[in-house]
Amino acid sequence: MRSERQELMLRIIDLCDSVRKRGLDPFDVEVREFFDRLRELLPKMRKHEEIYLDIQAVLGLADVVFQQSEWIKHKSSMLYLDPLLIMLKLHALPAKDLAEVLARAWHPIIDLESLSPHGIKEGMDYWKNLPSLDERWRGLDTTEVLTGEVARRELARMGILSDEDFTALLDKNWRELKDTAGEQGEVSYWDFISERSFEGTVVKAWLVSFLVSYGYATLELKPLEDEITLKPLSKPQNLECVATFSVPIAISRDEWLRRVKHG
Amino acid sequence: MAEEQDIVELREKLTRAAQLLLFRHHMRPGAKAWELRRALGRDYEQVAKLLDGELEKLGLTVKRVSEGEESSESDRYFVTLRGHPTLTEARTFGWRIDDMGMLTVALAHILAKEGKAPLKEVERILEEKFPRWRIESTIDRFIRRGYLSEDDEGLLYIGWRARAEIDQRTLLGLLLGKEEKPSEAEAEPKTETERKEETEEKL
Repeated sequence: MRSERQELMLRIIDLCDSVRKRGLDPFDVEVREFFDRLRELLPKMRKHEEIYLDIQAVLGLADVVFQQSEWIKHKSSMLYLDPLLIMLKLHALPAKDLAEVLARAWHPIIDLESLSPHGIKEGMDYWKNLPSLDERWRGLDTTEVLTGEVARRELARMGILSDEDFTALLDKNWRELKDTAGEQGEVSYWDFISERSFEGTVVKAWLVSFLVSYGYATLELKPLEDEITLKPLSKPQNLECVATFSVPIAISRDEWLRRVKHG
Repeated sequence: MAEEQDIVELREKLTRAAQLLLFRHHMRPGAKAWELRRALGRDYEQVAKLLDGELEKLGLTVKRVSEGEESSESDRYFVTLRGHPTLTEARTFGWRIDDMGMLTVALAHILAKEGKAPLKEVERILEEKFPRWRIESTIDRFIRRGYLSEDDEGLLYIGWRARAEIDQRTLLGLLLGKEEKPSEAEAEPKTETERKEETEEKL
């Protein structure tokens, strides 16, 4: 928790930042008053963090003083014209008149791009090493293959398409969950997701996460008993009407092995 | 004889100075003061003045641009147009009217804000007059070409090229002196008498 001292110093730092970054009038900052406050606070500071903030606040105020001097210099320079008038003109004039203003104040730089001896040598080396057009256009050795059809099973084997439609898969798992829960209407989360292989268990857990997310089932957490219960719903629930929250469940291989061994 | 030798030497220095200033050697055009001193000797400022006199005949001038308030060895010399181009000529340089208008707004706003203004603020002002999809890319181009510069905190400053090419005081003066023209739609319809008077004046 921040102390009152820290709050004050953070406010000073923030204010000084605003002067630099957002163009706040530097004369709006009560530099002297803030320095007096910091001087009062300094003997009471004990923590490194507070002293660091104090340094930052002093640097910020010093920067504000610098901004004030810049502001005076700018106002006293020949370039100073009322910013409000300039803004009004910028709003009022059409693009063509604005362009004309620029053209009449513009003295473009004249320069010519030239090739140096080094550049000429580089160009010559490139030309010498450039393969002939015949070589560059030589096609890759490929065989043309006619388009054909790929069976759904083949795509599944390649991992491009799931063997079963995802919705159908979810539906299948939902029915399985309802059957397992039976009349009790609930089943242990770990009992339901446990499969013979670790990979199968992870896939099942992944599918259960969708069942819960889409409102096909609910999770009940019993932290004291270290138990998670799955409750299938007879009809998918509209999640917009209920308060939802995320439950991260880690499934490690060790955890899976331990649970499989203990039945 | 010695005088003739001096003239030849001076001619050579003038040629060398013209080459250094007119041909681009680095990313930026022109040459730094210390480069000129190294190539032309201690009296490089005199040579630059002589070159300026020669270039005047062609409507060009040699300009020294300081990075800070005081002149130093890192000041850069450029050759620029002595006068200014007309709007039509500027368009033949590859500039669009919209782009020139945008640059005027950005520069004038930065100058009015004591030489720096947040990029977002400049974009917001430009959005009142120019299509949003063009603003971002155009400001990027201005930054790349050196008309504007941007720091890590998203503040825009006057770039090195604008300092060399744009007469800032003239820009602001012209802007304030510029008459606002009502658009055709906004202008009040003229009466028959006014139209007649106008025609008579023209005749």
